[in-house]
Amino acid sequence: MAPREEKLRCTKEPYIEDVGPQRIKSIRFSTFSGEEIKKLAEVQVWNNRIYGIDLRPVENGLLDPKMGAANKAGVCATCHGNFTECPGHFGYLKLTLPVFNVGYFNSILNVLKCICKACARILLLENERRIFLKKMRNPKADIFMKNALMKKIRDKCKISICPWCGSRNGVVKKARSSFAIAHDFSRSVDESIEVVRAALSHIKAKSSFQVVYILSPVTVLSLFKRMVDEDCELLNLYDRPEKLIVTTIAVPPVAVRPSVFVDFGKSSNEDSITTILKNIINTNSILREDLEGAAPPFKCLDCWAHLQIQVVEYINSEAPSVPDSKHRGLIQRLKGKQGRFRGNLSGKRVEFTGRTVISPDPNLKITEVAIPVLMAKKLTYPERVSAYNIEKLRQLICNGPDKYPGANFILLGDGTKQHLRYVDKKTAASELKYGYIVERHLEDGDVVLFNRQPSLHRMSIMCHRARIMPWRTLRFNESVCNPYNADFDGDEMNLHVPQTEEARTEALMLMGVQNNLCTPKNGEILVASTQDFLTSSFLITRKDTFYDRAAFSLMCSYMGDAMDPIDLPSPAIIKPIELWTGKQLFSVLIRPNARTKVFLNLMVKEKIYTKSETMCPSDGYVYFRNSELICGQLGKTTLGNGNKDGLFSVLLRDYNSHAAASCMNRLAKLSARWIGNHGFSIGIDDVQPGEHLNQQKKKKIDEGYRECHELISLYGKGKLTLQPGCNAAQTLELKITGVLNQIRAIAGNVCMNELHWRNSPLIMSQCGSKGSPINISQMVACVGQQSVGGRRAPNGFIDRTLPHFPINSKTPAAKGFVANSFYTGLTATEFFFHTMGGREGLVDTAVKTAETGYMSRRLMKGLEDLSIYYDQTVRNASGGVVQFIYGDDGMDPAKMEGKDGIPLNMDQLFMKIMATCPPREHDMLSPTEALQIMDNRLAKYDMAPEGGRKDSTVLENVAAKISGISSKQLEVFLETCISRYHSKKVEAGAAIGAIGAQSIGEPGTQMTLKTFHFAGVASMNVTLGVPRIKEIINAAKNISTPIVTATLLNGRDVLSARVVKSCIEKTVLGEVAKALKIVLKSSRPYIVVKLDMDLIEALHMRVSAESVCHSILNHPKIKLKSEHINTIGSDKLKIYPPEADRRKLQFEMHSLKAMLPKVIVKGIPTVERAVINETNGVYNLLVEGTNLLAVMGTPGIDASKTRSNHVIEVQRTLGIEAARQCIINEIQYTMRGHGMSIDTRHMMLLADLMTYKGEVLGITRFGISKMKESVLMLASFEKTAEHLFNASYGGRDDQIEGVSECIIMGIPMQLGTGILKVRQRVEKLPEFKSLNQRKLLCECKSAGEDIKARNWYK
Amino acid sequence: MADDDYDDVDMGYEDEPPEPEIEEGVEEDQENNEDAPDDVVGAEAEDKEQEQVERPRKTSKYMTKYERARILGTRALQISMNAPVMVELEGETDPLEIAMKELRERKIPFTIRRYLPDGSYEDWGVDELIVEDSWKRQVGGD
Repeated sequence: MAPREEKLRCTKEPYIEDVGPQRIKSIRFSTFSGEEIKKLAEVQVWNNRIYGIDLRPVENGLLDPKMGAANKAGVCATCHGNFTECPGHFGYLKLTLPVFNVGYFNSILNVLKCICKACARILLLENERRIFLKKMRNPKADIFMKNALMKKIRDKCKISICPWCGSRNGVVKKARSSFAIAHDFSRSVDESIEVVRAALSHIKAKSSFQVVYILSPVTVLSLFKRMVDEDCELLNLYDRPEKLIVTTIAVPPVAVRPSVFVDFGKSSNEDSITTILKNIINTNSILREDLEGAAPPFKCLDCWAHLQIQVVEYINSEAPSVPDSKHRGLIQRLKGKQGRFRGNLSGKRVEFTGRTVISPDPNLKITEVAIPVLMAKKLTYPERVSAYNIEKLRQLICNGPDKYPGANFILLGDGTKQHLRYVDKKTAASELKYGYIVERHLEDGDVVLFNRQPSLHRMSIMCHRARIMPWRTLRFNESVCNPYNADFDGDEMNLHVPQTEEARTEALMLMGVQNNLCTPKNGEILVASTQDFLTSSFLITRKDTFYDRAAFSLMCSYMGDAMDPIDLPSPAIIKPIELWTGKQLFSVLIRPNARTKVFLNLMVKEKIYTKSETMCPSDGYVYFRNSELICGQLGKTTLGNGNKDGLFSVLLRDYNSHAAASCMNRLAKLSARWIGNHGFSIGIDDVQPGEHLNQQKKKKIDEGYRECHELISLYGKGKLTLQPGCNAAQTLELKITGVLNQIRAIAGNVCMNELHWRNSPLIMSQCGSKGSPINISQMVACVGQQSVGGRRAPNGFIDRTLPHFPINSKTPAAKGFVANSFYTGLTATEFFFHTMGGREGLVDTAVKTAETGYMSRRLMKGLEDLSIYYDQTVRNASGGVVQFIYGDDGMDPAKMEGKDGIPLNMDQLFMKIMATCPPREHDMLSPTEALQIMDNRLAKYDMAPEGGRKDSTVLENVAAKISGISSKQLEVFLETCISRYHSKKVEAGAAIGAIGAQSIGEPGTQMTLKTFHFAGVASMNVTLGVPRIKEIINAAKNISTPIVTATLLNGRDVLSARVVKSCIEKTVLGEVAKALKIVLKSSRPYIVVKLDMDLIEALHMRVSAESVCHSILNHPKIKLKSEHINTIGSDKLKIYPPEADRRKLQFEMHSLKAMLPKVIVKGIPTVERAVINETNGVYNLLVEGTNLLAVMGTPGIDASKTRSNHVIEVQRTLGIEAARQCIINEIQYTMRGHGMSIDTRHMMLLADLMTYKGEVLGITRFGISKMKESVLMLASFEKTAEHLFNASYGGRDDQIEGVSECIIMGIPMQLGTGILKVRQRVEKLPEFKSLNQRKLLCECKSAGEDIKARNWYK
Repeated sequence: MADDDYDDVDMGYEDEPPEPEIEEGVEEDQENNEDAPDDVVGAEAEDKEQEQVERPRKTSKYMTKYERARILGTRALQISMNAPVMVELEGETDPLEIAMKELRERKIPFTIRRYLPDGSYEDWGVDELIVEDSWKRQVGGD
């Protein structure tokens, strides 16, 4: 190898010992001086020509081969490597005159502000300087403190006379015109300037005297060079400040700016970096010529300015000083979604992937995915040859790359790779040796990852087993649609093949479908039966379905692959012929044979449940006892996803995931095959309303319309009784909406009652497989009110919705009520209103995807590195504690059984124990005995960390109520509860932050943007949905609907509530004054205010003339003194304007009169209004507005129970812990408002993250930069360039420990399987048998050595 | 066929309460005590080992799913690279299945080093940790 020899000639190559795999521990950011750049560079670049006439790169040009191989044909002139070997080398470009670096421009400006522009010392007095230096050198100070200190120093450096040299300093600022720094003396004018100005005043030419100087890069450079090191330290500079100014440009290697030949090599397309650098070289040489050739100074300056702009463009082509650049600068390469950080470092392109359309296949197991043969031939797995597989691999090699179970490559022992298309397969197979690696085609049972975008939660990418099948689609069991949120209307999905044994194992263990049946969002089951499976289960378990022996056996055989033995139960009816019920089929499905020890016990109320439990007339009460379906027609609640006490959830918890999975497999097969024979379809006759229904509907609609017309006429007469806090129009709207909604509901009910029980849509709705009663009644009876923005259709024309209606019409039809059904067909106007509603939905989805996507990204970046450590604490990557125990109890949300995140569902468990563990002849326990047993068990050491327990009153209560339980049962129950509780602890290493972020982000996508919701009172709206979640996690200072919920001390009394309300609500004088008149009298005019005492009495306000007088005097704008106001009686005031000019008196009087009604006489100024709300006879106050402190301080209010929904205000008023609780409550409330349940532990974690620094930090770029120290993480989030430049200014050190940094550097991170180290134990290694005396992996390991064989080191 | 592997999980249908875990805990404590002198003799030179011996191990005695995944992964890799197998094979050829069988029989010659946030660590032998008892569930394949 030629390059190797040439390399050997270089004798000065240092000997570097190979110390094995190494890992980057930290990265330091710093700056390079011109000299350093020169030392690093291999070549000076000065030639502006790129290619010579012979189409070879010119020496000292921008593509000099010394900077690396330009293309596959080229060879590097420095290291003699080819395109793949040579890493590239830098060149340098010497600038004639220094220029500023845009990235550091603000830093340069800040440094200049703090130093004397004559002597370059810091503008601080000696004693101050010392104090600050001491603080800056404090070893405990972290980055945030240092930055704050620097800001403080900058504020201090405002002295205009330098304490060191006595020269004057002006203000340094960015010059307005161009990219330069101005030194402005105009503020600090002293007498000498005046003298000069006076002297120059006779010159007419320029009247304004120039007091602004431009600090050129040369001046700044010389200033910086003279700076003292201690001063640099004070300014948090890591290195010498002169490095902030560009004197030499490092020319990047050719490899990063490839040059592409076009037109058959006649011309080339250069990268924009090359183009910019070429321009810089040109300008630079012109500048040098100008300087040497003594061109006029203004020309040189122009040229210099031009050079400056070009260097700015090189670094940041989007900088404001660069007039619309067509190039991409260095910063543009890094930032943004497609930039280096987010596009190439945080997310990488991978091989061994596939993507096609998906389709369903109920015959597959839920853990499987069918992969087309075509794909399997391209996707390979490198299998190492060993004694177990050598014969198989030989066969595969013989088949070659084109015949399916074959192989594509062989990796020989020396590392060379053979493609099987170009070698003799037979010989290759016979020469196969142990240790070779064969890249074989994918085969059945291989581990693959399956993914569908958008990947919103961890179940969006799961591990399946491959099944190689013919045809062209990826297929999987429909039960797994839910976690991927997939349907088969043309969706495509991705497939990845892990390439190492470790990767497959971890994928299978941690990402396997069977290990992710439950969502960690709230512990509900996610992989469960859907659609047709539910329909067929529903139909099979009907009360009146019976099967004879042939049919029943056939259906039993549908369930499996003819592999499982099935015990046929005894028939339900023996005479006249043997008949089995459909319910018995499900007993078989759960427990096919006696060897299967599954005893399912379950009680669920289905959707169709009406009354009296097991005797429910509509058979909606599902009861399984010891795996026998006693009663109930199965539907979505039992078999479907999204609940905690369904059949599969119980199987999963009581037995294991395999039990649940195999049951799902059987159900899928059974129902798909059964419904294929049975048939299920809908047709037009399914949506034809009957005669009775039509009459009913007509009657109801007529009634409703009449009612609406009455309301409208009442409104017209102004006789409508108002609802609290609403005006007449709002009340009318509310009432009409109520009436119309009722019409639809009644029509729907009638329709559901009228439909035949065999009606297909009805069946689907009843079992929950598809469609709701509303959908059916829209098809059959009445479409109902169309709404836009939560209201009836708005007026698009003048005072009306459409020109088909009279002006100001508020009738149902004119405001978007669709009385027709989809079956009867809509009228033109109805159709138009319907499209209005439809469009709103579309716009909603389009808008919210972007919003929630960004929200999820921010949440993820904020929470990504939180994980559980081995001491059960939740910490971030640098070890900062966020929670001492996860979620206050250390439980795993994915494993919670009970409602609201309670670990166990004791009722269910007790039922199971009672059923599975019959008492037989054991005696029943007396309460005292039961208590004794419980005491004994609960005193054992595994009950609490300290052992034993303290409080026994609860136990006694429990024991007293238990009866009819044998000692065995009780013992088993206790034991199960305790052991199961222990197994539900969250495991060390869990990336609980990422899970939390997904659990909050994913439901966000399902939230409709329907933002408002009534907070108790109809008139009071609160923001909900995505905007509200955004407000909370942004920790917004101003929220759109701040509401304080105030509890009253005397909550049962309306009167006291009204009194308190009047104290809080802002009341202005205009509202309580009966009259406000100007009285003009010859003596002294005045304004008379008469209070409406009746109103004041009625509202229980404590307002009198005295108090009004007081509030007028306190008003900031009305400048009156006490002598100007006269109170007459308790309800009258006379206000005299202050003595003034007689001419102005009239205006004074009127302005006073205009101001007076706005004087607040009672209440809290920031409160808009307060509404009394009644719940179960207890009154409380809802206060719209801020100022929690004032509300709490109002007499009559129970301050300890008063809450606000404004997080920041709660923090200001009550402190950080209250703010944390407020965040938790508010997110919980918002999510519940949309019918979503999320485990409270996720909210706790988020709230803790937002508050653990002592102030409420939002999950925004500002908040996150205060939470995290890592530069790489922040750079990969937002403001990439800013963070990088600041880091190199301060010489920041980035410990590679967080998740983002580790991904960027390609290092395993310290969570999940990376939290521990595995060490080989060699001393205990027994003598191995001589059956295979090959070289062993563990042989070469010394005793107790770490196993470093993880693949990313290779 | 697959269903008979969860019969052992069934809770007390045979009128017998499941084996209480306490016994295992006691055993484990004894082991701990036995271990201690060994370590002192073995690794006196290493300061950290010493320090670790001085205090009892505090982390959970259950093997986490991450530990199991990591161990099985590492072991499967070793087996795929022709390391000697510690158990009798019954026709298994998949390295992962062999590794699982080894773990089930507690024959994997590994020690887990659990790092605590302060930088100290605890060493747990794979055979000391309690592993979740259902096995077949991991192999979704059959």
